[in-house]
Amino acid sequence: MSVLVAAVGFGLITSAVLAISAVGFTLQFAVTDVLNLAFAAVMTAGAFFAYLVNQSGVPIWGAVVAAMAAGAVLSAALNYLVYSPFQRRGSAPITLVIVSLGMALIVEFGTAAIVGGVNVSYTMSQGRTIHLGGLILTTVQLAIIAISLAVMAGVYGLLRYTKLGKAMRATAANRMLARNCGIKATQVIAITWALTGALCGLAGAVFAIDVGSFNPSSTDIFLILILAAVFLGGPGNAYGAMLGALVIGLVTEVSAAYISPDYKYVAAFVVLLAMLAIRPAGLLGART
Amino acid sequence: MYYLIILLVYLAVDAIACLGLSQQFGVAGVTNFGFIIFQAAGAYVAAVLALPPDTADGGFQTYLGGYHLPFPVPWLGAALAGGVLALPFTFLVGRRLRGDFAAVGLLVTAVLLNLLVMNYRPLFNGDAGVSLVPAPLQSGMFVGTSNGYQIGFGIAGLVAVAAVYWFLRRITESPYGRTLRAMRDNDKVADSLGKNLLVLRTGALVTGGAIAGLSGALLVSFIGVWSPAAWSYAETIVLFTAVIIGGAGNHLGAVLGAVLVPVGFEEITRFISNNNPSLPPNLLPSLQWVAIGLLIAIFLWLRPQGVLPERKRVIRPRAAAGQPGPAAGPDRRRPVAGSAVMLAADGVRKDFGGVHAVAGVSLSVARGTMTGLIGPNGAGKSTLLSLLAGTEKVSAGRISYAGQDITTLPAYRRARLGLVRTFQLASEFKRLTVTENLLSAVPGHRGDSFTGALLGRRYWRGDETAAIDRAYALIEKFGLTAQANDYAGELSGGQRRLVEIMRALMVEPDLLLLDEPMAGVHPELARRIGRTLAELCQQGLTILMVEHELAIMDEFCEPVIVMADGQVLAQGTMAQLRDRSEVVEAYLVG
Repeated sequence: MSVLVAAVGFGLITSAVLAISAVGFTLQFAVTDVLNLAFAAVMTAGAFFAYLVNQSGVPIWGAVVAAMAAGAVLSAALNYLVYSPFQRRGSAPITLVIVSLGMALIVEFGTAAIVGGVNVSYTMSQGRTIHLGGLILTTVQLAIIAISLAVMAGVYGLLRYTKLGKAMRATAANRMLARNCGIKATQVIAITWALTGALCGLAGAVFAIDVGSFNPSSTDIFLILILAAVFLGGPGNAYGAMLGALVIGLVTEVSAAYISPDYKYVAAFVVLLAMLAIRPAGLLGART
Repeated sequence: MYYLIILLVYLAVDAIACLGLSQQFGVAGVTNFGFIIFQAAGAYVAAVLALPPDTADGGFQTYLGGYHLPFPVPWLGAALAGGVLALPFTFLVGRRLRGDFAAVGLLVTAVLLNLLVMNYRPLFNGDAGVSLVPAPLQSGMFVGTSNGYQIGFGIAGLVAVAAVYWFLRRITESPYGRTLRAMRDNDKVADSLGKNLLVLRTGALVTGGAIAGLSGALLVSFIGVWSPAAWSYAETIVLFTAVIIGGAGNHLGAVLGAVLVPVGFEEITRFISNNNPSLPPNLLPSLQWVAIGLLIAIFLWLRPQGVLPERKRVIRPRAAAGQPGPAAGPDRRRPVAGSAVMLAADGVRKDFGGVHAVAGVSLSVARGTMTGLIGPNGAGKSTLLSLLAGTEKVSAGRISYAGQDITTLPAYRRARLGLVRTFQLASEFKRLTVTENLLSAVPGHRGDSFTGALLGRRYWRGDETAAIDRAYALIEKFGLTAQANDYAGELSGGQRRLVEIMRALMVEPDLLLLDEPMAGVHPELARRIGRTLAELCQQGLTILMVEHELAIMDEFCEPVIVMADGQVLAQGTMAQLRDRSEVVEAYLVG
């Protein structure tokens, strides 16, 4: 019983980190039409930027904000310099996926070239531990969950109530039509890159806090979890990504507790392939 | 000297792998981001086929098998393993899944299989990998290091490259290869012309997988060890970079890419780092990956066709030109049941989410007529055509063709029954010439199958010649002789419409579904097409045509069906329809 409870606790934290990344990834895909495989690399770049800021004496939560800024700038730059020129030329989606893999290499190993391939940790305190009916969590872990919930609520509010959110949804549904209705699609897409980039940077920093010690290649496998969560919920569907993140986070940690930590990703892998094979539109259907 | 031999063997391994990848990605358009797992499978299988049982060396490593089989069994087994391993992945690249989603699925598979093999020791000795794999035709441990043997191995590698190259050329330069390239350019259209995408893609995956397996066998036989570190998913990206730079779809380009990227690149960095020991150990490998990423982006931007682009296949008509009319060979028209109704829809519906694009349509098309289908934008005409052709599945209702219920038949099966469609949007195979576009549609071509292609030109030359004659007769009739060997993607909009109609006619359809065939075509030419189609109808062809140009409807189509809001509004001759107020209203309001 206590094993299960502990596993669920870990699972919730993984889910929280995963939800931020998956929502960012899926919104990015829905609005910009780029299946951006460089997402996890940008996460790490953001996490390392936060590390440098943190090392210079800024407290950790200030460094997290710096990671968001770095993620936003880097993602917007990727769009402006690379993806959007390819799209304007009418490149096939698969070409953009290949290009995004190239970008993943550049960002990941560019980071490695700058900082070296070593493991680093933030300077921070884990805070008091808190017992919640069998769950033992640190203050920091609770903060991660709270941040994630706030992000989910924020994304919901953005998509549901704001003009920008509606413009994003319209652009996702039909870019040409949105343009004809007077929506500045190019602008909406640029803003989306910055916004989802900020989520990506945030996810990177939170991921780094969660795992404790990280290096430029730490998120390689995490990308698989993001993809699993996104495809489980339905690519392009923000609420689907939230649901997917919750399921994948819990499944990986619980299977790690009961089978073996070595195979914890296998469950995510099976879920992903099964979804692709049986229901490519995902549980909640594709696109917002 | 020894160094050169090593380079030569690595080159052979990479060249074989690049050839397999180029066949999948460049020719068949299957983006296999998990390519490396097929090489890995080949290497492991070759290793355990050649190794003695794992208890033999004091049990310091564990692995399945250990059969101690002589060369060339391990190599053959490796190719077989690569091919067989491809089978379970066919569900990913089959008919339904978007190419980029399938690619992601394969990438994920590659990452996780690597993790699994790394962590599960009983399979192939886990993280440490298998070692002491015997070299082919050698016994004992150090016999394989003699100079003569090494040179022989290098030569054997080159022979293997040549064999794979020959094999792939035989496939690619055949009608089967043409079909693969057509699928690469537009899979939905290939489907509508009667090509079974699932079988074609399976063929590409299995062929490429077997070749990758062979490359793995070659490598493991030479270096004697194989571990998960040797086949991380990133190795696939290196091979992709090589193929993109060399020229996807050009097999010589694939070999060139292998020389430039995996071999040339790694050797250059090794050279630099050997001469600058003061550099941080991690820096150069990191920069190497950055450079690979840059190469991908820069080449896809500046020269997407690669250093050696795909060759244009120029096909000329037979010297004995001036042969009369369509030298069509035997009449392939399928026997059709006696009924006068060629195609019937009964309560057909299609819902997209909450939108009822087609909301209960019942209609019938009589044999030998050129039936028109008109209606305002958004009436559901194109969707209806897609349902009739099988490009999309109906939400409800039944469709029958020549007395046979075809509601659940996939598009390619309907095309093989003689029910062929064209598309509203440009759908030519862009990187095939006009002639190739036409030839790709020929049904029942002897060379249009894997085995047919392997049997060689002599086996399918007869069919090809007849097909070329038919194609040129059509091209002449539609006035595109001057463009016959131009890439279809380079034609004007109107010319592309012609290519599409001709290509559909090459299938020898009994019923043709045309979606705005005259859009963007010069009015004079449109009339000529209309007359040609009318002639064909007199010879037994049936046509259902969506068209906005009412003058065309007036002149050629009878009866004409009017659709609005997903339903049939009226049916009759144009003269009758003009008298009906609701029809006129639907047009004005719509």
